[in-house]
Amino acid sequence: MSDRTRKTDVVVIGGGPAGLAAAASAADAGAEVVLVDRNRTLGGILNQCIHDGFGLHAFGEVLTGPEFAARYVDRALDAGVEVRRDTMVADLSPDGALVCTSPGTRYRLRGEAVVLAMGCRERTRGMLRIPGTRPAGVYTAGAAQWLTNLANVRVGRKVLILGSGDIGLIMARRLTWEGAEVAGVVELLPYASGLPRNITQCLDDYGIPLHLSHSATCVHGRDRVESVTVARFDEHRRPIPGTEFDVDCDTLLLSVGLIPENELSRRAGVVLDRTTSGAVVDDGYMTNVPGIFSCGNVLHIHDLADWAAEEGARAGRSATDYVGGGRAAADARIRIEPGAGVRYVVPQTAARSADEVLVSFRVTEPGEGKTAEVAADGRVFAAESLRRAHPAEMVQIRVACADGLDVDRLEVRLA
Amino acid sequence: MSERYDVVVIGAGVVGTAIARTLARFDGTFAIVERAHDVGMGASVRNSGVIHAGINCLPGTFRARFCMEGRALLQDWCDELNVPYSICGKLVVARRDEEIPSLERLMADGEANGVPDLRIVSGAEAERVQPGISGVAALHVPTSGIVSPYALTIATAEDAADNGVRFFLGSEAVGIEPDEDGFAIRTTTGTIRTRFLINSAGIHAGRVARLLDPDAPAVYPCVGEYLILDKQAGETMTTSVYPAPGAANAGLGVHITPTTEGNILLGPSSEYVADPETVCCTKTTTDRLLDEACVMWPDLPRNLVIGAYAGLRSKLTSPATGGFSDYVFRRTTEHPNAVHLLGIESPGLTAAPAIARHVVEDLVSPDAGLARRAPSEWRVRRWPDRFDELPEAEKERLVAANPDHGEIVCRCEGVTKAEILHALDNPLGVRTLAGIKFRTRASMGRCSGGYCLPRIVEILQEERGWSPDDFLLRGPDSPAFAGRLLEASRV
Amino acid sequence: MTTKRITCILCPNGCEIEVAYSGEPTAETIRVDGNLCPRGTDYVLEELTDPKRTLTTSILVRGGTQPQASVKTACPIPRAALLPARAALRTIVADAPVAIGDVVARDVAGTGVDAIVTRAVPRAVPRTTASARRAS
Repeated sequence: MSDRTRKTDVVVIGGGPAGLAAAASAADAGAEVVLVDRNRTLGGILNQCIHDGFGLHAFGEVLTGPEFAARYVDRALDAGVEVRRDTMVADLSPDGALVCTSPGTRYRLRGEAVVLAMGCRERTRGMLRIPGTRPAGVYTAGAAQWLTNLANVRVGRKVLILGSGDIGLIMARRLTWEGAEVAGVVELLPYASGLPRNITQCLDDYGIPLHLSHSATCVHGRDRVESVTVARFDEHRRPIPGTEFDVDCDTLLLSVGLIPENELSRRAGVVLDRTTSGAVVDDGYMTNVPGIFSCGNVLHIHDLADWAAEEGARAGRSATDYVGGGRAAADARIRIEPGAGVRYVVPQTAARSADEVLVSFRVTEPGEGKTAEVAADGRVFAAESLRRAHPAEMVQIRVACADGLDVDRLEVRLA
Repeated sequence: MSERYDVVVIGAGVVGTAIARTLARFDGTFAIVERAHDVGMGASVRNSGVIHAGINCLPGTFRARFCMEGRALLQDWCDELNVPYSICGKLVVARRDEEIPSLERLMADGEANGVPDLRIVSGAEAERVQPGISGVAALHVPTSGIVSPYALTIATAEDAADNGVRFFLGSEAVGIEPDEDGFAIRTTTGTIRTRFLINSAGIHAGRVARLLDPDAPAVYPCVGEYLILDKQAGETMTTSVYPAPGAANAGLGVHITPTTEGNILLGPSSEYVADPETVCCTKTTTDRLLDEACVMWPDLPRNLVIGAYAGLRSKLTSPATGGFSDYVFRRTTEHPNAVHLLGIESPGLTAAPAIARHVVEDLVSPDAGLARRAPSEWRVRRWPDRFDELPEAEKERLVAANPDHGEIVCRCEGVTKAEILHALDNPLGVRTLAGIKFRTRASMGRCSGGYCLPRIVEILQEERGWSPDDFLLRGPDSPAFAGRLLEASRV
Repeated sequence: MTTKRITCILCPNGCEIEVAYSGEPTAETIRVDGNLCPRGTDYVLEELTDPKRTLTTSILVRGGTQPQASVKTACPIPRAALLPARAALRTIVADAPVAIGDVVARDVAGTGVDAIVTRAVPRAVPRTTASARRAS
């Protein structure tokens, strides 16, 4: 058995925006940091996100994904983070021991603190149980984006997109720019799940139809996709007979949801939240396993990379605090839970002694003129009016409590 | 293709490849013709992967005989070939007292076939064997097992290829003419001559038989749909669980079957179809699979479905009749040198080595005069161990010896770059994405290839000079892509 | 009176702005409502008179660690010029290494706007495969 165990203060798993920001802030706060990333180039998913819209909050600029990533790569390297590319973590145990694998070498690494920033994977056709044949030409939108933007591959000529999430909308435009015919975008819900500006600049600009309250009922084609049957669905998510129509296409792209990638976290004994599929964390982004932290899309799916990076920065500082012995492990905790109109909240717990907690959450359905409240026992601790709320957009609310939180649980709800 | 083979097999499914492997232990020239671009692309990789105990076969039939003989041979073959299998046992569960007699009938059939250690147990004891299932009583079948059907078929085929059997893939038999010394088989890739012919073409065996013999019976395709559950589900469900057969409101009679990799299969359904070329999964059937499986396994994690597939059984009973018929090994007095295997449905996988032995040793070899080769003249090609399943020390050793084992390409299944590249060096010359998938498990995990496909494309483009048009899902008719996005030279 | 609803694309807020005007839309004649910031007014006016978009696409790279670099127009260009601009960029092959900000084409499709690199592509180092190692 190998005895090459490199020990360090903080290991960050994942070099996307959250991981890079976590590594940089942990190092800035004084920790020795090693960041491992499985790709050749840092930046995570941002490397294939060649569209713009990043950085408005973080830098006041409109950047493409790779440009945004480069800023955080620079920050991490300037802060003295040791970066190991082409390195995947094959195993993680609760004591912070990692098994790392890289071309030509497989070794152990140990961090007194470990920050999970592995990002997410895409929901698949198999998970949705879309009926029909299994021809070539069915791809998740993110995989198609990698193939298009990194591998110089044309995925197909005539494309139908299932799901109106941002990745699908961006790919509708990208493929149109590259000479493909995008037959349409099909969305099960009665409202689009991507940002309104993407409906404009990706669909409306090109006359690509958006079919709301519709979904795919069958894939056709023995060897390669030949067509997809689409039908209108009712409010119980059942197809309405007689509304079916066939869309001729050779490619079906799926943009039907992202799932935090917590396989490694499970192996380390991290408890997951059933709604987010991410870890249950406290206000310092620490999981139930002492010393293991979580941030970014692996914690909960973010709508903007800017927020994922900010969350990473907070988690990184917290990890360094932990290494320095600054976190009282046995601090009394309160629960933070979703109430009316709110689907989930992160963090799910906070230290009773915390003087400020930043709560991120998402609403269950679109609405206007609502107020978000953080409340307990009839008292409102924080409130914010939401001009327009949408499940696709993450909301953040700061709960300031100079005298600590003298309740057992806080509820985040819409009023 | 101008030489004359001693024996040509049509159809490289699990039975055809088992026949090829068996032939390879004899002196002679042998070939196998397969319309798909890899072996096992029909029912052989789209079934439950079960090593049947023999309780579900009518005593005295070929099915029963070859099930019992085959299950022993199959385990020997898997030990030789290093193909994964496990004797994990089975529980046939009665939900109501009225179903117990059907368990007793199964037990009686099983004992008549020589199945050992059968016991009817209480619901509570069944739950001790397999926690989480719900029933009043169960037939415990400890000798029932599971095997990887794709590993078995491919390992058998590659072993046969290594030992001299010629494989003609992408070659469909479209005509069979008797000639002076046997047959001339016209295929889509040329004519192949042979002294003896074995037709193991599965759902196409009837059509192939009628190329020679217009009176050959029809084979009816009957679809079985399956759902695949994430390996997380397999952590708690480790025994096969079947419902008591023929019960009132039996519905589909859906089975819960673990796989050798740790997934769970739900299914199959059973429905005759008109068109064998278009195999589909349907919403109504997969919904029913889930609902019925939940009856036996109330805590079945429905959110852990990761995929679905459908396979076609070869049935000799028509849609009007239904039910089962025994295997048919058809030889006519006009063409005694042609053997047609018709209606090889369950327990076809279990029976395959025994069917192969019967066809080769009992039916063909006596007339063909084939002599056995000495064991020193052939060697076994072992299915490679999966890197992901090796102990850590062995992994480190392998990575040091081959750096490409240090790069994980399929994150969900832990498949390394070295395994991917090795899969492409197979003796059958298969270069399809499905070929890589079944040889390595890449893209069979929960993300369905979302992670590994782009990386496989990158690796093969950069290191093997592939272009987008070289990526085929199952063959030339299923191109994965539509060329390059940008071309270097533009007119 | 003409009224239109336009979604501003300048930032993720995506304000839905109602704009009303008589005759031709100009800075003086339009009335806007629904934007959270003044940039929305400018955006709406431009959208009505001379709509612009930023093109984000890719070009081929020779000798790099990947086959493509991502590029963008340095600022938004007229909507009508998007596809011609993309077509013009298809003929470009840059030599690695390329850095973020490198200009790969000037005055793309006559817009007066340059196309710049948005993803660095270093020069390729020959990958050491197992077979190459054994050979050496």
